[in-house]
Amino acid sequence: MRGVIGVFRELDTTCDAIAVLKKKKLGEFTVYSPTPRHEIEHAIDKGPSAVRMFTLIGGLAGVTFGYWIAIWISDYWPIVVGGKAIASWIPYTVFGFEVMILIGGLATVAGLFATARFPRITHTVGYDSRFSYGDYGVWIEPAPDKMQEAEQLLRDAGATEVRVER
Amino acid sequence: MATITRPETEDVELLRRPNIPSADVRLPAVKDYEQVDDEITATLHPTGQWFIGLGVAIAFLIVGALAWTYQIYSGLGVAGYNPPVMWGVYIVTFVFWVGIGHAGTLISAILYLFRAGFRTTIYRCAEAMTVFAIMTAGLFPILHLGRPWKFFWLIPYPNWRYIWPQMKSPLIWDVFAILTYLTISATFLYIGLVPDFAILRDREKNPIRKRIFAQLALGWRNTDREWRHFVRAYLFLAAFSTPLVLSVHSVVSFDFAMSDVPGWHTTVFPPYFVAGAIYSGIGMVLTIIIPLRKWFNLKHYVTINDLDAAAKLALFTSLIVGVSYANEWFVAWYSGSPAEKQFFANRLWGQWWWASSLLYTCNICLPLSLFSQWCRRNTTWLFILSIFINIGMWFERFVIVVPSLSHEFEPWQWAGYRPTWVDYAILCGSFGWFSMWFLLFIKQFPVIALTEIKEIVKPRLKFSHPRGIDTTAHPLPFMPDTPGEFD
Repeated sequence: MRGVIGVFRELDTTCDAIAVLKKKKLGEFTVYSPTPRHEIEHAIDKGPSAVRMFTLIGGLAGVTFGYWIAIWISDYWPIVVGGKAIASWIPYTVFGFEVMILIGGLATVAGLFATARFPRITHTVGYDSRFSYGDYGVWIEPAPDKMQEAEQLLRDAGATEVRVER
Repeated sequence: MATITRPETEDVELLRRPNIPSADVRLPAVKDYEQVDDEITATLHPTGQWFIGLGVAIAFLIVGALAWTYQIYSGLGVAGYNPPVMWGVYIVTFVFWVGIGHAGTLISAILYLFRAGFRTTIYRCAEAMTVFAIMTAGLFPILHLGRPWKFFWLIPYPNWRYIWPQMKSPLIWDVFAILTYLTISATFLYIGLVPDFAILRDREKNPIRKRIFAQLALGWRNTDREWRHFVRAYLFLAAFSTPLVLSVHSVVSFDFAMSDVPGWHTTVFPPYFVAGAIYSGIGMVLTIIIPLRKWFNLKHYVTINDLDAAAKLALFTSLIVGVSYANEWFVAWYSGSPAEKQFFANRLWGQWWWASSLLYTCNICLPLSLFSQWCRRNTTWLFILSIFINIGMWFERFVIVVPSLSHEFEPWQWAGYRPTWVDYAILCGSFGWFSMWFLLFIKQFPVIALTEIKEIVKPRLKFSHPRGIDTTAHPLPFMPDTPGEFD
């Protein structure tokens, strides 16, 4: 994978570079920022995260399992009290609720790992430790004939450092 | 995530008025992202005092461990239990630590959903406190077992005994609630730490520590994809944790409220317990954060405004707890039940008058001082008060547990209770256990969330954008939603 990384000192120049990159359609790009910023998220405009589906499915699976395990145990090992149900759904709501939270929360984390594509064993090209400190970065993978144009574009947008990496 | 929003009104000057103190998240002494990293990561180097503190905590822990060993060898009788008082210091301390664990998730999750700015600087400490408090609380039901090594029998799993837990028992509900709370709180803490681990990985010079941080950071790179999904996942975890905070202590209160014992069998217990838990948790947060901000020289991060807001929360919850006490007395009188009336008379004017007086003084009277802004903004008084709150809340649980069991329906059920040295030693051990984990945490990981602090620090801009920028880097005619962000 060959691409160009531009290092930016400021938020506004980074947003500027994203806007121009989107307009020019030079290729897929990744933005590095030390903290989440709505300005960058809006500039990239990728749409809603799919994590919510993991949360929903995990929560529904959890509440189903919570009720099921309590009812199954009551039927398997019944404690018979005259006039009372062997499996009583009202106290079992505690299990339904707690297991919903447990499985839903863990599914949310699984969803984060799946959608954000981490954990990663190695850092991909383009990453620089400055991006966790205070600087912003824009990594672009243009076609080989557009490489110079991408470099120039990042410089014009205000990048303090531009380099080609593979 | 910091953002820029359109104002409801055109009255710009009105919007610019600082919304202090509760929502004021301005950190005027923090100039840029680099300063945040440099100052907060500088707290990670162990000092002589830290080693002394850790040594004291471990010494307390050893005392507790020795007492537990003696109890296992000799039996639970050495813990001062005499029928009918078969719940004592262990259950009191269990409820106390579960309560302490509540403020962390309240601050990190509920206040996150409500966008309360003051949480940003204190939530990491509170979250860590939650996890370690629940770890401590979880020990006590095990300590209370005759054969503690069989604790896993409480968990439903296929086994050779062909027996399963009684799913209608509040004690089994407790197992599920506490395990869920511990798991979700630890997950929430860890996920919030991942971007900070990446910062530590990139800053660390020691190769061994750098490798450990690299493993903990899971390859985090600060990409737009990671942030987009991270922010959403964090929000959902916060949304899940919010009802969990309310449910866990409600379930703990069911341990008492589901029984037919005077003083316990009341419907006010779940909200009463939740408010008390949040109150005690805020007390412990203040106990921890006030010295920490001084020792670590982080007063310009954890500002007086943040403490002021936390103190208001403590005042609010103390008032709820006060109303709950009044409700208990009222119901005892209004119920017409002689057992309830006698029990409350015994609690207030009988053998337990000293414990009741102590808790009412600490939990109702002293916190009224927080109506004064001077008291809320005086860190010395806040620290002293927080100690009283901790003591008061431990005695609240004592007054709930012991007097009820020592004064049930029939005179032959009336008895006394006196904790033994084993109880005191294990109580000290629990504080040692909690302090040891917390002290280890504060010197290995940042006590203030680096990434979230950066969100409230003014970002570096090349051009003048007094009201922020739009997605194409043009100045906006709108106001930032974070007061002072672009000042």
